[in-house]
Amino acid sequence: VVTFDEYCSEGGFRALRKALSEMSPLDVQQAVIDSGLRGRGGAGFPTGKKWSFVPRDLPGPRYLICNGDEMEPGTYKDRFLLEHNPYLLIEGLALACYALGVEHAYIFIRRGYEQACENIRQGIAQARRTGLLGENISGSGFSLELDLHQSAGRYICGEETALMNALEGKRANPRVKPPFPAIKGLWGQPTVVNNVETLSNIPAIIANGPAWWKGLAATPEAAGTKLFCPSGHLALSGCLELPLGTTLGAIIDGPCGGMRPGSSFKACIPGGASTPFFTKQHWDVPMDFDPVAKAGSRLGTGGIIVFDQETCMVGVTLNLIRFYARESCGWCTPCREGLPFVRQILERIEQGRGEHGDIEILREHVQLLSYAFCALAPGAMGPLEGLLRLFEDEIREHITAKRCPFKKS
Amino acid sequence: MIKLLIDNIPVEVPEGTNVLEAARSVGIIIPHFCWHPALGRAGACRACAVKMLEGPVKGLQMSCMLPVQEGMVVSTSDKEALAMRKGVIEWLMINHPHDCPVCDEGGECQLQDFTIAGGHSIRRYDGKKRTYRNQYLGERIEHEMNRCIQCYRCVRFYQEYAGSSDFGVMGRAAMVYFGRQCDGPLESPFSGNLVDICPTGVFTDKSARFRARYWDYDMAPSLCPHCSLGCNTIPAARYRELLKVIARRNDSVNGWFICDRGRFSNSPVNAPDRPRQALLDGTPVSLSQALDALAERLRTFLDLNGPDSLGIVGSPRMSLEGNLLAARLRELTGSGTLCYFGDAVREERTMAALHLLDSRLRASQEDVRKADLVAILGCDLLEEGPMMALAVRQAWRNGARVFRIDGNGGQSDLYPSAELSSLADAPFSEAKNPVVICGSLHKGSDEIPNMPAGAKLAFVLEGPNDLGCALLARERGAVSLPTALESGRIKGLICFEADIPADMIAGLQLLAAADWKSTAAVRAAGIVLPSTAWIEMDGTLINNEGRAQRFKKVMNPGLPIRGLDPAKHPPRVHRHDAPGGDVLPAWALMAGLIERLGGERIDQPLSGNWEALRGLNAEGGGEIVL
Repeated sequence: VVTFDEYCSEGGFRALRKALSEMSPLDVQQAVIDSGLRGRGGAGFPTGKKWSFVPRDLPGPRYLICNGDEMEPGTYKDRFLLEHNPYLLIEGLALACYALGVEHAYIFIRRGYEQACENIRQGIAQARRTGLLGENISGSGFSLELDLHQSAGRYICGEETALMNALEGKRANPRVKPPFPAIKGLWGQPTVVNNVETLSNIPAIIANGPAWWKGLAATPEAAGTKLFCPSGHLALSGCLELPLGTTLGAIIDGPCGGMRPGSSFKACIPGGASTPFFTKQHWDVPMDFDPVAKAGSRLGTGGIIVFDQETCMVGVTLNLIRFYARESCGWCTPCREGLPFVRQILERIEQGRGEHGDIEILREHVQLLSYAFCALAPGAMGPLEGLLRLFEDEIREHITAKRCPFKKS
Repeated sequence: MIKLLIDNIPVEVPEGTNVLEAARSVGIIIPHFCWHPALGRAGACRACAVKMLEGPVKGLQMSCMLPVQEGMVVSTSDKEALAMRKGVIEWLMINHPHDCPVCDEGGECQLQDFTIAGGHSIRRYDGKKRTYRNQYLGERIEHEMNRCIQCYRCVRFYQEYAGSSDFGVMGRAAMVYFGRQCDGPLESPFSGNLVDICPTGVFTDKSARFRARYWDYDMAPSLCPHCSLGCNTIPAARYRELLKVIARRNDSVNGWFICDRGRFSNSPVNAPDRPRQALLDGTPVSLSQALDALAERLRTFLDLNGPDSLGIVGSPRMSLEGNLLAARLRELTGSGTLCYFGDAVREERTMAALHLLDSRLRASQEDVRKADLVAILGCDLLEEGPMMALAVRQAWRNGARVFRIDGNGGQSDLYPSAELSSLADAPFSEAKNPVVICGSLHKGSDEIPNMPAGAKLAFVLEGPNDLGCALLARERGAVSLPTALESGRIKGLICFEADIPADMIAGLQLLAAADWKSTAAVRAAGIVLPSTAWIEMDGTLINNEGRAQRFKKVMNPGLPIRGLDPAKHPPRVHRHDAPGGDVLPAWALMAGLIERLGGERIDQPLSGNWEALRGLNAEGGGEIVL
């Protein structure tokens, strides 16, 4: 863990002091808009634009929630930040709160992230002791209370409106939108929900200026850096900060050291479990929001899961669908009932009991689940859509052979 | 008003209406489960998909979630919308047990209707169905969770609309469970509405369990007689037995719901031993013979004692028709005394309420639901008129402030309220739609002068026709029975559905009682005339607001078949009427008596000032008569 003194000696809290003494809240917001920072939680919505939706003239408090409910399979970037550098997040949060005029913020952390919670708790205490949180920070007149909430532990709690319900002590069902959280969020007040990684980028933007930060990217279109979480059949895996726009191939062959000995690349999930697969044809796609979307997937969280030639893609998809079917909150029919149906069909294909007509049922589900209440079910259809588009032959092989061709024996 | 086009039909609806309701207004029923007019949108079931062809919103949309906008062009039968609907039904039917043949909801099941409408017919899922354990929810409601399609209506009604917390939703994903923490009776005084709002057979009425299909029932628009509010109901009967009561929508009165007292108080009607047989000094006679005998005895009595010695007693639980003819009977016999109330205090307070309602703006239950300030004067609403408490809760949910004055109890979990010492302390000036609610046990007269002229007033009275009796008492000059008896002149009483304490009727020369309940008067009377219960006749009641409402005959009177144990089984002889069916509505008994005493023949009991109510439509919402 980076200690408080280490963080400060490396220039920590310089950005916060700078903002409080030299910049107006709107200056900070403008810097974030200029930086081109896009949300790192998965959806990639421009952060500054999200902030600008918050009305500043409504009576009552505004809230900021840091979403640390990192439950997307294959993603461990927030955990890395929370466990290794809690002060970076605290400073980013303080800057965001200053920009938005928020005096009470919450950090919502995944149930299982015990160490992260402990580190954040200590970080908050230390920041409060040194006057970087609490009343009248550095004599600027800006005050901020920061509370940590450890989730009760469900995937849906990462959905921002479900997260707010969870914070309010209600069932973590997503809420109807509109009204959007920026207008009516936590306890009915204007609320911004930002991801841990998003907020952790803000100190650098303020300290070094938006142009500098934007220029860190690998392509002119991209902005800044991104944490990638490669895993799977790679020689090396671990959380990596890379320029946004680095190509998939460069990530795998570069810091990841290529595939494991004896393995060759078959496919990967580019951005966490809810994104459609990439194959060798996507090797040179720059890992940035728009290029990845253009290539038929989503950058998502940057959780790259790599599969080698021995991997059954039906099995991969089934494994992911099992996760989503279990994690549905149970509110809307397509998600609650549709996902178990998909799971059951994939199970029968994988077990050699599939029929060719099943493929049509799966296609229907990809289509219909897009009309679910929130983004969980459409996200769950990401890998299935990829499977149907890129690996239909492999599915038919299962059906024709009446067994999984990848299973030995 | 917003104009839009739905399936090429031009539709004009008020702003704020959703597309589903707009379609409904022109007779297009879009399948839906989670949406309910009183509970609003949820967006959970996803069945009501429509395709937006032109206008401000495009593509497939959930019609319950979409407020109408000018220029929308909607198709409810677009291919994509139909595919979605079919998909939703298929998903819902994956786990539904399909046990319609043994399900009490069968025939009145929204899931059945919309499954047919949705076009899903062939099962493609071949896995196991999910199953649950059911809970014991008390003696009124049967729980069958396997049938659940997770529309969340029950929990939204129970917790949000009705404000109780002992029932809710648990678990997640495909295993969400709607029930209680553990077995036990539902605590909400409105729990029976779960039976009505569940779109399938998860909650069914135990008293009707396995007794009838929807098409077997005798049903008619009726009213609840169990308090003064006049909530609209549909009693459902079979084989001369009232099996269940369903809430009937009346937006000005009860809205969509009724309370458990109104729903589950069926047993007195069905009681085999309720008065069903005319008695002459304890000997069974035909109803006609009993009326002949009463006319005869009455003539003798009047000759002997003079008209001043006779009292005619009506009742606030009897229909307006009966109470009106009671006044005519008094006129005909020249009797000095007409009584409607067996209790002097109740009469005094009801007359005072009528007087105050005359001079004030009157509040309906709907006015209460829409109020932004509610002041409750000394009454326990849950006890005196539960639906009024539910109405206050809706006001509170919409942001109204609730105050209690002179409150002996009356505090409720349904609506947080503050106590004030006087009505004058309530912040009326800050409210646009204030309502004052006054209980039947509170005269109100001390506090009502503190009420601003713009505020509306509601009284919660005791019986279903208290205000009708007060109106007639004023029109026809009635007094309360204790007042009448004080003079010492009364030597004979004819009581119609009157609840009178036994000591008031002791030592009379003549006592006749007509009723369908076994009251003290019936037990003591020399002549007993069995009358029909409200579900066995047409009639009119005037509720607490002064709203005259018509109720229609649901079933023929007679011993319920279930009441006939082998020992009491009637002889198998041919007869025209049902056993125990020689009964008449109280007003018809009076008409018979009037005719026998030389009066006119009466086919239409409503006459004079009340003639205008003859054409009152039972399904027309009622008519204010104050």
